[in-house]
Amino acid sequence: MLYREAGQFKTSYKSDSQIFPILQDRIGMVILIAIAAIGVPLFASEYWLNAILIPFLIFSLAALGLNFLTGYAGQLSLGSAAFMAIGAYATYNFQLRIEGIPFPISFLLGGLSAAFVGVLFGLPSLRIKGFYLAVATLAAQFFVVWCLTKFPWFSNNSSSGVISAQTLSLFGFTFDTPASKYLLVLVIVSGLALLGKNLVRSSTGRSWMAVRDMDVAAEVIGIPLMKTKLLAFAISSFYCGIAGALYAYCYLGSVEPDGFSLDMSFKILFMVIIGGVGSILGNFLGAAFILLLPIFLDIALPFISQILHLPIPSSVVSHIQLMVFGSLIIFFLIVEPHGLARLWQISKEKLRLWPFPH
Amino acid sequence: MQFFIEIVISGILSGLMYSLVALGFVLIFKASGVLNFAQGAMVYSAALAVVGFIDYGLPMWLAVIAAFIFMVIVGICTEKFVLGKLVNQPPITLFMATIGLSFFLDGLSPILFGNEVRPIDLGIVDEPIQSVMELTGIGISKLDLFSSGIIILLVILLALLFQYTKVGRALRAVADDHQAALSLGIPLENIWAIVWAIAGFVALVAGLLWGSRNGVQFALSLTALKALPVLILGGFTSVPGAIVGGIIIGVSEKLAEIYIPPVLQDAFGGNFGGIEGWFPYIFALVFLLVRPEGLFGEKHIDRV
Amino acid sequence: MTSRTTQDKDTVLKLENISLSFGGVNALTNISFDVKEHEIRSIIGPNGAGKSSMLNVINGVYHPQAGSIYFRGEKRKQMNPAQAARQGIARTFQNIALFKGMTVLDNIMTGRNTQMKSGFISNAIWVGKARDEEELNRQKVEEVIDFLEIQHIRKTPVGKLPYGLQKRVELARALAAEPSLLLLDEPMAGMNVEEKQDMCRFILEVNQQYGVTTVLIEHDMGVVMDISDRVVVLDYGKKIGDGLPDDVKNNPEVISAYLGTNH
Repeated sequence: MLYREAGQFKTSYKSDSQIFPILQDRIGMVILIAIAAIGVPLFASEYWLNAILIPFLIFSLAALGLNFLTGYAGQLSLGSAAFMAIGAYATYNFQLRIEGIPFPISFLLGGLSAAFVGVLFGLPSLRIKGFYLAVATLAAQFFVVWCLTKFPWFSNNSSSGVISAQTLSLFGFTFDTPASKYLLVLVIVSGLALLGKNLVRSSTGRSWMAVRDMDVAAEVIGIPLMKTKLLAFAISSFYCGIAGALYAYCYLGSVEPDGFSLDMSFKILFMVIIGGVGSILGNFLGAAFILLLPIFLDIALPFISQILHLPIPSSVVSHIQLMVFGSLIIFFLIVEPHGLARLWQISKEKLRLWPFPH
Repeated sequence: MQFFIEIVISGILSGLMYSLVALGFVLIFKASGVLNFAQGAMVYSAALAVVGFIDYGLPMWLAVIAAFIFMVIVGICTEKFVLGKLVNQPPITLFMATIGLSFFLDGLSPILFGNEVRPIDLGIVDEPIQSVMELTGIGISKLDLFSSGIIILLVILLALLFQYTKVGRALRAVADDHQAALSLGIPLENIWAIVWAIAGFVALVAGLLWGSRNGVQFALSLTALKALPVLILGGFTSVPGAIVGGIIIGVSEKLAEIYIPPVLQDAFGGNFGGIEGWFPYIFALVFLLVRPEGLFGEKHIDRV
Repeated sequence: MTSRTTQDKDTVLKLENISLSFGGVNALTNISFDVKEHEIRSIIGPNGAGKSSMLNVINGVYHPQAGSIYFRGEKRKQMNPAQAARQGIARTFQNIALFKGMTVLDNIMTGRNTQMKSGFISNAIWVGKARDEEELNRQKVEEVIDFLEIQHIRKTPVGKLPYGLQKRVELARALAAEPSLLLLDEPMAGMNVEEKQDMCRFILEVNQQYGVTTVLIEHDMGVVMDISDRVVVLDYGKKIGDGLPDDVKNNPEVISAYLGTNH
């Protein structure tokens, strides 16, 4: 009886197309933002900020980028990590080589560099579809990492391509504490998520979904296939690029090309699948799930082995992780292809009726 | 010059190894339309099963049979618990399910069979053939040659199976049109179980050959990735395509690795190895732009 | 809103000697006919006669190997469907081509895509230009929704709708584009009597109220004879009849090819 829409009638199209049409949702969002922006930096431990919340936000952003391309526009990509790498390395080079450039501009340019390369590797999508496109993105993944490793210019001639992120400062304020980095990441990710939400409920989002669902029909009603697909590649790579820059500057501090491996691309894809294809919220849920799962297993398995009196050597834990990942992917694809986001939606709908059954 | 010939021959031989993995893909795709990303994991699992059973005390020949039974069980379970539940989903969903499957197998097999790197001993050594070496100065590995022979034999056997046996005919019917095959009384589930068993067998052969060459290690699972460019060149449904595609990829990859780095090194300095890692994909990509359906694939016409 | 005038006899579409083949199979051979402004022109013929291919040629999905197309007096160069859409040609499909992952409302809104000018940056910002344009187009779409009486399902995902309603949504999407030429490929296939009557009513109203020129492929002879101004008959890719419904009905060639059994 708390979660009722009774009395909340929409009297204009504007209000019908709000992001959170239900009042209780809006209140919930405000509370969430208050906790995230004020409560967390004040009370969370350094470990939580550095090892959990910051990567959570960063990967949610990367998953969001991939979701635009694969979830909304239907173009399968296995190369998200490569675009993150481009974002990181491009930002590094702009920061390094342009004297006095404000870091938000380097980030922006880093994202745009990733977008540019994204469009290049997206050009084949005009002729090829589905699995074939997946191979094109694999090509991007391997080629980009190789380039960044082998051409010394990208990493300022460091061996094996390692780069160390410069400290970020703006108007005299230096972002060097976990809390300040966290807030920076929070602001950037929330801002981009809002822009993303606007994008997908507008004509851009509809064009993408039309191309995904039936591209021949989309063309017939006047949607320009080339522009639509390339835009998806561009925006997706931009978001991944920014995520990569944040990964280097606000999370690890120093990165190497091999760190942006195929493995990471798969992780991001799994976040999208489990979180929910074609949803904005899903990326956050998926990222949380994938990032917390190893931690959860690290705690749960010794516990289980104690109960069952079955010794589980630590090497086996990583194997079990793979098995759990794999089974969860399959589980979600079978049971709820729209992922955690749909489960969340269903529980909200049940909540609307609570305490009545239907 | 003889160095060049050596590279080409070595490329052909290693290319055939890719073809072997690609064969497994083609079989499953032909029969069920599923692109089985887990094929590499299946190669790895089969090889692990062999060395695992040997570690448990079985003699080599029994271990191979036990490994085959293991692969058949894996195939049947996959059909029942994974693909069977996703029957009417779009191909992309099935593909992603096989990605999940590959992760699952990558985790399960080392638990069952251990994960230390162990060699498989087939009794043939990875050494150049003496007589050829003395005559022409070209080194051809005995093991590679043996492997190629096995692969060609396997392809011929499979071709015979598809053309001349009742089961083979049923498999081709299913590959063409599921509904029609069903209406003829062909039991779809049994057919798919058979296909997965054959694919498992192919994976086992690949596991044995790769394993005797490089030892049984996790990298085997990644051979699936190399098979993708092969499939693009050869088409997803063609057995001869897998062979031709494999050879082309194998040769071009080796040539690129030998001849491109020096050019780059002269221009930029530094070390440019590792071309093999991405060259097949870029090669396949460029090829796709010219001919989207591969060398042997069927042209796809969209009906509205 | 222009009312129908039978005096308006400008030719909207003229097809001259169109031949289309797919690798040896002749789908259309030397077809010529025209479509006048504001009329309802039906294309009929047995299955496989080439009717859908004809529509596909008109809106640029297929490119004929021979022949010319004149749209509003101008000879048309080879074009893709998106360009045809921008010129004001909209269509529906034999097998429903709705976007299954979206709601009814979103599907119809995609029909307005050619009129929506906001780029992705305005869309991302939303407040201001994009939101205003969205509201404007929403109004137009709601007009179409009212017209076709599908208000109650506007937020339903299209995949969940029964067949008849899906066909109506597809018509809505085509109408939302405010086309000058409407191509309907068997809009009443698979419908029961009531649904057919509704659809007939809609097509007539669209033609009479909005003056939209309509080219219609249909199998139901009763419908065709009732609502068409003129009829073209195809058989095995060739034209065997062209004119007023009654003339065509009495054409012996047509009768032997097709009208043997009456619906």
